[in-house]
Amino acid sequence: MSAHVVILAIAGLVAAGCAGGSASPAPAPAPRPDISGTWHNPLGGGNRLRPAEGDIPFTPWGAEQMKAARPTFTNDFRETTDPAVLYADPNGYPRIMMHPMKFKLVQTDDYVYQLFEYNQNWRQIAVDQAHAPDDPPTWYGNAVGKWDGDTLVVDTTGFKASTWLDSRGLPHTDQLRLIERFRRDGDTLAVEVTFDDPGAFTKPWTAQLTFERVEDGMMIETIFTISDELRFRERFLGIPSPIPIRR
Amino acid sequence: MRTHVSSILAGIVGVLLLSPSPRAHHGAASLYDVNKETTIKVTITEFTWTNPHVEVGIASVEDKSQRWLLELGSPPNIVNRGWTAKSLKPGDVVTVTFNPGLRGMRIGRLLKVVLPDGKELTA
Repeated sequence: MSAHVVILAIAGLVAAGCAGGSASPAPAPAPRPDISGTWHNPLGGGNRLRPAEGDIPFTPWGAEQMKAARPTFTNDFRETTDPAVLYADPNGYPRIMMHPMKFKLVQTDDYVYQLFEYNQNWRQIAVDQAHAPDDPPTWYGNAVGKWDGDTLVVDTTGFKASTWLDSRGLPHTDQLRLIERFRRDGDTLAVEVTFDDPGAFTKPWTAQLTFERVEDGMMIETIFTISDELRFRERFLGIPSPIPIRR
Repeated sequence: MRTHVSSILAGIVGVLLLSPSPRAHHGAASLYDVNKETTIKVTITEFTWTNPHVEVGIASVEDKSQRWLLELGSPPNIVNRGWTAKSLKPGDVVTVTFNPGLRGMRIGRLLKVVLPDGKELTA
Protein backbone atom coordinates (compact mmCIF):
# COMPACT_ATOMS: atom_id res chain seq x y z
CA MET A 1 0.00 0.00 0.00
CA SER A 2 1.45 3.27 -1.02
CA ALA A 3 1.68 6.27 1.32
CA HIS A 4 -0.89 8.07 -0.82
CA VAL A 5 -3.47 5.36 -0.29
CA VAL A 6 -2.91 5.41 3.49
CA ILE A 7 -3.39 9.17 3.63
CA LEU A 8 -6.54 8.99 1.54
CA ALA A 9 -7.92 6.23 3.77
CA ILE A 10 -7.28 8.26 6.94
CA ALA A 11 -8.80 11.34 5.36
CA GLY A 12 -11.88 9.32 4.47
CA LEU A 13 -12.27 8.05 8.03
CA VAL A 14 -11.94 11.58 9.42
CA ALA A 15 -14.51 12.87 6.95
CA ALA A 16 -16.90 10.07 7.84
CA GLY A 17 -16.50 10.83 11.52
CA CYS A 18 -17.29 14.46 11.00
CA ALA A 19 -20.30 13.73 8.85
CA GLY A 20 -21.69 11.23 11.32
CA GLY A 21 -22.64 13.92 13.82
CA SER A 22 -21.74 11.74 16.77
CA ALA A 23 -19.51 14.40 18.38
CA SER A 24 -21.29 16.75 20.78
CA PRO A 25 -21.20 20.38 19.65
CA ALA A 26 -18.75 22.67 21.43
CA PRO A 27 -20.46 24.83 24.03
CA ALA A 28 -21.14 28.35 22.85
CA PRO A 29 -18.75 30.86 24.39
CA ALA A 30 -20.22 33.02 27.11
CA PRO A 31 -21.23 36.42 25.77
CA ARG A 32 -18.67 39.07 26.62
CA PRO A 33 -19.58 42.51 27.87
CA ASP A 34 -19.44 45.17 25.20
CA ILE A 35 -16.99 47.96 25.93
CA SER A 36 -16.46 48.79 22.28
CA GLY A 37 -17.10 52.26 21.01
CA THR A 38 -15.56 55.70 20.85
CA TRP A 39 -14.52 57.33 24.11
CA HIS A 40 -12.86 60.50 25.28
CA ASN A 41 -11.53 62.15 28.40
CA PRO A 42 -14.20 64.63 29.54
CA LEU A 43 -11.56 66.66 31.37
CA GLY A 44 -9.98 67.54 28.06
CA GLY A 45 -6.54 66.18 28.83
CA GLY A 46 -3.84 67.58 31.01
CA ASN A 47 -5.29 66.04 34.16
CA ARG A 48 -2.86 64.37 36.50
CA LEU A 49 -2.96 60.87 37.87
CA ARG A 50 -3.51 60.71 41.58
CA PRO A 51 -4.93 58.31 44.15
CA ALA A 52 -8.54 58.75 45.22
CA GLU A 53 -7.22 59.64 48.67
CA GLY A 54 -3.84 60.68 49.99
CA ASP A 55 -0.65 61.30 48.10
CA ILE A 56 1.28 59.25 45.61
CA PRO A 57 3.67 57.04 47.65
CA PHE A 58 6.88 57.98 45.86
CA THR A 59 10.18 56.29 46.54
CA PRO A 60 13.02 58.81 46.92
CA TRP A 61 13.93 58.17 43.28
CA GLY A 62 10.33 58.70 42.19
CA ALA A 63 10.04 61.94 44.14
CA GLU A 64 13.27 63.20 42.66
CA GLN A 65 12.12 62.44 39.12
CA MET A 66 8.75 64.10 39.71
CA LYS A 67 10.43 67.22 41.06
CA ALA A 68 12.83 67.40 38.13
CA ALA A 69 10.12 66.98 35.48
CA ARG A 70 9.28 70.14 33.58
CA PRO A 71 5.89 69.59 31.99
CA THR A 72 4.70 72.01 29.37
CA PHE A 73 1.70 73.01 31.44
CA THR A 74 3.50 74.75 34.24
CA ASN A 75 6.85 75.83 32.88
CA ASP A 76 8.39 77.91 30.19
CA PHE A 77 7.82 75.72 27.17
CA ARG A 78 11.43 76.15 26.07
CA GLU A 79 12.62 74.31 29.16
CA THR A 80 10.28 71.35 29.01
CA THR A 81 11.64 67.86 29.67
CA ASP A 82 8.47 66.18 28.38
CA PRO A 83 9.74 63.32 26.18
CA ALA A 84 6.53 63.26 24.14
CA VAL A 85 7.23 66.86 23.10
CA LEU A 86 11.00 67.14 23.19
CA TYR A 87 11.63 63.93 21.26
CA ALA A 88 8.16 63.34 19.81
CA ASP A 89 8.20 60.02 21.67
CA PRO A 90 4.97 58.06 21.89
CA ASN A 91 2.92 59.29 24.83
CA GLY A 92 3.08 55.99 26.67
CA TYR A 93 0.37 54.61 28.89
CA PRO A 94 -2.03 55.47 30.44
CA ARG A 95 -1.11 59.00 29.41
CA ILE A 96 -2.32 58.57 25.84
CA MET A 97 -5.73 57.43 27.03
CA MET A 98 -6.06 60.76 28.89
CA HIS A 99 -5.18 62.77 25.77
CA PRO A 100 -7.94 65.16 24.66
CA MET A 101 -8.33 63.32 21.38
CA LYS A 102 -10.65 60.36 21.27
CA PHE A 103 -9.91 56.64 21.27
CA LYS A 104 -11.83 53.61 20.13
CA LEU A 105 -12.12 50.22 21.75
CA VAL A 106 -12.49 47.35 19.31
CA GLN A 107 -13.17 43.82 20.52
CA THR A 108 -12.40 40.63 18.64
CA ASP A 109 -12.52 37.06 19.91
CA ASP A 110 -8.94 37.14 21.15
CA TYR A 111 -8.02 40.79 21.56
CA VAL A 112 -9.25 44.15 22.69
CA TYR A 113 -7.65 46.96 20.73
CA GLN A 114 -7.31 50.53 21.93
CA LEU A 115 -7.02 52.79 18.89
CA PHE A 116 -5.84 56.25 19.84
CA GLU A 117 -6.51 59.11 17.46
CA TYR A 118 -3.44 60.97 18.66
CA ASN A 119 -0.38 59.81 16.76
CA GLN A 120 -2.30 56.84 15.37
CA ASN A 121 -0.94 54.79 18.24
CA TRP A 122 -2.67 51.59 19.27
CA ARG A 123 -2.41 49.06 22.06
CA GLN A 124 -3.48 45.45 22.08
CA ILE A 125 -4.79 43.45 25.00
CA ALA A 126 -4.59 39.69 24.51
CA VAL A 127 -7.68 38.14 26.07
CA ASP A 128 -7.34 34.84 27.95
CA GLN A 129 -3.71 34.55 26.99
CA ALA A 130 -0.50 34.49 29.01
CA HIS A 131 2.19 37.13 29.14
CA ALA A 132 5.04 36.63 26.72
CA PRO A 133 7.83 36.75 29.32
CA ASP A 134 10.75 37.24 26.95
CA ASP A 135 9.32 40.17 25.05
CA PRO A 136 11.49 43.29 25.17
CA PRO A 137 10.07 46.40 26.84
CA THR A 138 7.80 48.44 24.59
CA TRP A 139 6.09 51.84 24.66
CA TYR A 140 2.70 50.31 25.44
CA GLY A 141 3.71 47.16 27.29
CA ASN A 142 2.73 43.54 27.13
CA ALA A 143 -0.97 43.43 28.05
CA VAL A 144 -3.16 40.44 28.78
CA GLY A 145 -6.78 40.58 29.89
CA LYS A 146 -9.50 38.45 31.43
CA TRP A 147 -13.18 39.09 31.88
CA ASP A 148 -14.32 39.15 35.49
CA GLY A 149 -18.07 39.42 35.17
CA ASP A 150 -18.74 42.78 33.54
CA THR A 151 -15.16 43.96 34.04
CA LEU A 152 -12.15 43.50 31.80
CA VAL A 153 -9.11 43.07 34.03
CA VAL A 154 -5.88 43.90 32.21
CA ASP A 155 -2.43 43.05 33.50
CA THR A 156 0.44 44.81 31.73
CA THR A 157 4.20 44.56 32.18
CA GLY A 158 7.17 45.29 29.97
CA PHE A 159 7.00 49.05 29.66
CA LYS A 160 9.92 51.14 28.48
CA ALA A 161 10.94 53.32 31.39
CA SER A 162 11.33 56.56 29.46
CA THR A 163 7.68 57.58 29.14
CA TRP A 164 5.68 59.70 31.57
CA LEU A 165 2.55 58.16 33.06
CA ASP A 166 0.73 61.48 32.70
CA SER A 167 1.42 64.83 31.10
CA ARG A 168 2.59 66.24 34.44
CA GLY A 169 5.71 64.10 34.50
CA LEU A 170 4.68 61.16 36.69
CA PRO A 171 7.67 58.78 36.44
CA HIS A 172 8.01 55.01 36.39
CA THR A 173 10.67 52.38 35.92
CA ASP A 174 10.78 49.23 33.80
CA GLN A 175 9.45 47.36 36.85
CA LEU A 176 6.05 48.94 36.32
CA ARG A 177 3.10 46.60 36.39
CA LEU A 178 -0.34 48.02 35.65
CA ILE A 179 -3.56 46.35 36.65
CA GLU A 180 -6.56 47.96 34.98
CA ARG A 181 -10.23 47.28 35.47
CA PHE A 182 -12.40 48.45 32.56
CA ARG A 183 -16.11 48.60 33.27
CA ARG A 184 -18.80 50.15 31.16
CA ASP A 185 -21.92 51.70 32.58
CA GLY A 186 -24.00 52.93 29.67
CA ASP A 187 -22.18 55.86 28.11
CA THR A 188 -19.50 55.94 30.79
CA LEU A 189 -16.35 53.86 30.86
CA ALA A 190 -14.70 53.59 34.26
CA VAL A 191 -11.07 52.52 34.28
CA GLU A 192 -9.45 51.79 37.62
CA VAL A 193 -5.67 51.76 37.21
CA THR A 194 -3.36 50.31 39.87
CA PHE A 195 0.32 51.27 39.61
CA ASP A 196 2.72 48.74 41.04
CA ASP A 197 6.33 49.81 40.58
CA PRO A 198 8.77 49.27 43.47
CA GLY A 199 11.28 51.51 41.70
CA ALA A 200 9.02 54.56 41.69
CA PHE A 201 6.41 53.87 44.41
CA THR A 202 6.74 52.42 47.91
CA LYS A 203 3.44 50.56 47.52
CA PRO A 204 0.81 50.02 44.83
CA TRP A 205 -1.74 52.80 44.45
CA THR A 206 -4.87 53.24 42.38
CA ALA A 207 -6.30 56.05 40.25
CA GLN A 208 -9.83 56.23 38.89
CA LEU A 209 -10.29 57.42 35.33
CA THR A 210 -13.62 58.09 33.68
CA PHE A 211 -14.31 58.39 29.98
CA GLU A 212 -17.44 59.42 28.12
CA ARG A 213 -18.82 57.80 25.05
CA VAL A 214 -18.82 60.13 22.06
CA GLU A 215 -20.35 59.87 18.65
CA ASP A 216 -18.46 57.48 16.46
CA GLY A 217 -16.66 59.07 13.58
CA MET A 218 -13.57 59.26 11.49
CA MET A 219 -10.27 59.24 13.26
CA ILE A 220 -8.32 62.18 11.88
CA GLU A 221 -4.67 61.53 11.14
CA THR A 222 -2.58 63.47 13.62
CA ILE A 223 0.93 62.14 13.65
CA PHE A 224 3.27 64.35 15.62
CA THR A 225 6.81 64.20 14.28
CA ILE A 226 10.21 65.61 15.14
CA SER A 227 9.79 67.95 12.17
CA ASP A 228 6.53 69.24 13.65
CA GLU A 229 8.25 70.04 16.91
CA LEU A 230 11.25 71.66 15.22
CA ARG A 231 8.90 73.69 13.04
CA PHE A 232 6.92 74.85 16.05
CA ARG A 233 10.09 75.81 17.92
CA GLU A 234 11.49 77.66 14.95
CA ARG A 235 8.31 79.56 14.14
CA PHE A 236 6.90 80.22 17.61
CA LEU A 237 10.00 80.32 19.77
CA GLY A 238 12.58 81.56 17.29
CA ILE A 239 14.82 78.56 17.87
CA PRO A 240 16.45 77.63 14.53
CA SER A 241 16.09 74.01 13.52
CA PRO A 242 19.41 72.12 13.41
CA ILE A 243 18.15 70.04 10.47
CA PRO A 244 15.96 70.83 7.47
CA ILE A 245 12.29 70.72 8.40
CA ARG A 246 10.16 68.33 6.36
CA ARG A 247 6.44 68.81 5.78
CA MET B 1 -27.05 92.36 40.94
CA ARG B 2 -24.79 93.40 38.13
CA THR B 3 -21.77 93.10 40.43
CA HIS B 4 -22.98 89.71 41.57
CA VAL B 5 -23.28 88.45 38.00
CA SER B 6 -19.86 89.88 37.19
CA SER B 7 -18.37 88.04 40.14
CA ILE B 8 -19.90 84.80 39.01
CA LEU B 9 -18.62 85.35 35.48
CA ALA B 10 -15.17 86.20 36.80
CA GLY B 11 -15.26 83.00 38.83
CA ILE B 12 -16.21 80.97 35.79
CA VAL B 13 -13.46 82.59 33.75
CA GLY B 14 -11.02 81.87 36.58
CA VAL B 15 -11.98 78.21 36.65
CA LEU B 16 -11.59 78.00 32.90
CA LEU B 17 -8.15 79.57 33.08
CA LEU B 18 -7.11 77.12 35.76
CA SER B 19 -8.52 74.17 33.88
CA PRO B 20 -6.18 71.98 31.87
CA SER B 21 -5.68 73.21 28.37
CA PRO B 22 -7.39 71.08 25.75
CA ARG B 23 -4.30 71.65 23.64
CA ALA B 24 -2.08 68.75 24.43
CA HIS B 25 1.18 70.03 23.03
CA HIS B 26 1.77 72.63 25.69
CA GLY B 27 -0.05 74.55 28.35
CA ALA B 28 -1.28 77.98 27.30
CA ALA B 29 0.41 79.69 30.24
CA SER B 30 3.82 78.40 29.19
CA LEU B 31 3.89 80.69 26.16
CA TYR B 32 1.02 83.17 26.36
CA ASP B 33 -0.38 85.79 28.69
CA VAL B 34 -3.68 84.05 29.41
CA ASN B 35 -4.89 87.04 31.43
CA LYS B 36 -4.69 89.37 28.46
CA GLU B 37 -6.82 89.36 25.33
CA THR B 38 -6.07 91.38 22.24
CA THR B 39 -8.84 92.02 19.72
CA ILE B 40 -7.83 93.50 16.40
CA LYS B 41 -8.94 93.71 12.78
CA VAL B 42 -6.41 91.92 10.64
CA THR B 43 -5.58 90.53 7.25
CA ILE B 44 -4.83 86.82 7.19
CA THR B 45 -1.32 86.23 5.83
CA GLU B 46 -1.27 82.45 6.17
CA PHE B 47 -3.47 79.60 7.32
CA THR B 48 -1.50 76.39 7.67
CA TRP B 49 -3.33 73.21 8.64
CA THR B 50 -0.57 71.35 10.46
CA ASN B 51 0.58 69.70 13.67
CA PRO B 52 0.94 70.27 16.52
CA HIS B 53 -1.14 73.42 15.98
CA VAL B 54 -2.82 75.00 13.03
CA GLU B 55 -0.92 78.23 12.32
CA VAL B 56 -2.54 81.54 11.52
CA GLY B 57 -0.46 84.49 10.34
CA ILE B 58 -2.03 87.92 10.78
CA ALA B 59 -1.16 91.53 9.95
CA SER B 60 -2.97 94.49 11.47
CA VAL B 61 -5.20 96.30 8.97
CA GLU B 62 -4.32 99.60 10.59
CA ASP B 63 -0.57 99.03 10.61
CA LYS B 64 0.65 96.26 8.33
CA SER B 65 3.99 96.16 10.11
CA GLN B 66 2.21 94.74 13.16
CA ARG B 67 2.29 91.00 12.56
CA TRP B 68 1.77 87.94 14.73
CA LEU B 69 1.82 84.20 14.29
CA LEU B 70 -1.11 82.64 16.13
CA GLU B 71 -1.70 79.05 17.05
CA LEU B 72 -4.95 77.15 16.99
CA GLY B 73 -5.57 73.67 18.39
CA SER B 74 -4.74 70.46 16.58
CA PRO B 75 -6.94 69.61 13.60
CA PRO B 76 -8.94 66.80 15.31
CA ASN B 77 -9.82 69.10 18.19
CA ILE B 78 -10.90 72.12 16.19
CA VAL B 79 -12.92 70.33 13.51
CA ASN B 80 -15.41 69.65 16.28
CA ARG B 81 -15.85 73.40 16.59
CA GLY B 82 -16.56 73.96 12.92
CA TRP B 83 -13.07 74.62 11.58
CA THR B 84 -11.91 73.20 8.28
CA ALA B 85 -8.68 73.51 6.34
CA LYS B 86 -10.45 76.17 4.26
CA SER B 87 -11.92 78.27 7.05
CA LEU B 88 -9.43 81.06 6.35
CA LYS B 89 -7.16 81.99 3.49
CA PRO B 90 -4.52 84.67 2.90
CA GLY B 91 -6.14 88.01 2.15
CA ASP B 92 -9.24 87.47 4.31
CA VAL B 93 -10.00 90.46 6.53
CA VAL B 94 -11.34 89.33 9.88
CA THR B 95 -11.39 90.31 13.54
CA VAL B 96 -9.35 88.10 15.82
CA THR B 97 -9.07 87.80 19.57
CA PHE B 98 -5.97 86.19 21.03
CA ASN B 99 -3.77 85.84 24.10
CA PRO B 100 -0.51 87.56 23.17
CA GLY B 101 2.86 85.90 23.66
CA LEU B 102 4.84 86.32 26.85
CA ARG B 103 8.20 88.09 26.86
CA GLY B 104 7.14 90.28 23.95
CA MET B 105 7.13 87.42 21.46
CA ARG B 106 5.09 88.15 18.34
CA ILE B 107 3.01 85.04 18.77
CA GLY B 108 -0.42 84.40 20.16
CA ARG B 109 -3.05 81.88 21.10
CA LEU B 110 -6.10 82.41 18.90
CA LEU B 111 -9.34 82.49 20.84
CA LYS B 112 -11.91 83.73 18.33
CA VAL B 113 -12.30 84.84 14.74
CA VAL B 114 -15.19 86.94 13.49
CA LEU B 115 -15.60 86.46 9.75
CA PRO B 116 -16.82 89.23 7.42
CA ASP B 117 -20.33 87.72 7.43
CA GLY B 118 -20.44 87.88 11.23
CA LYS B 119 -19.95 84.16 11.72
CA GLU B 120 -17.70 83.33 14.65
CA LEU B 121 -15.20 80.52 14.95
CA THR B 122 -13.80 79.77 18.37
CA ALA B 123 -10.66 77.89 19.25
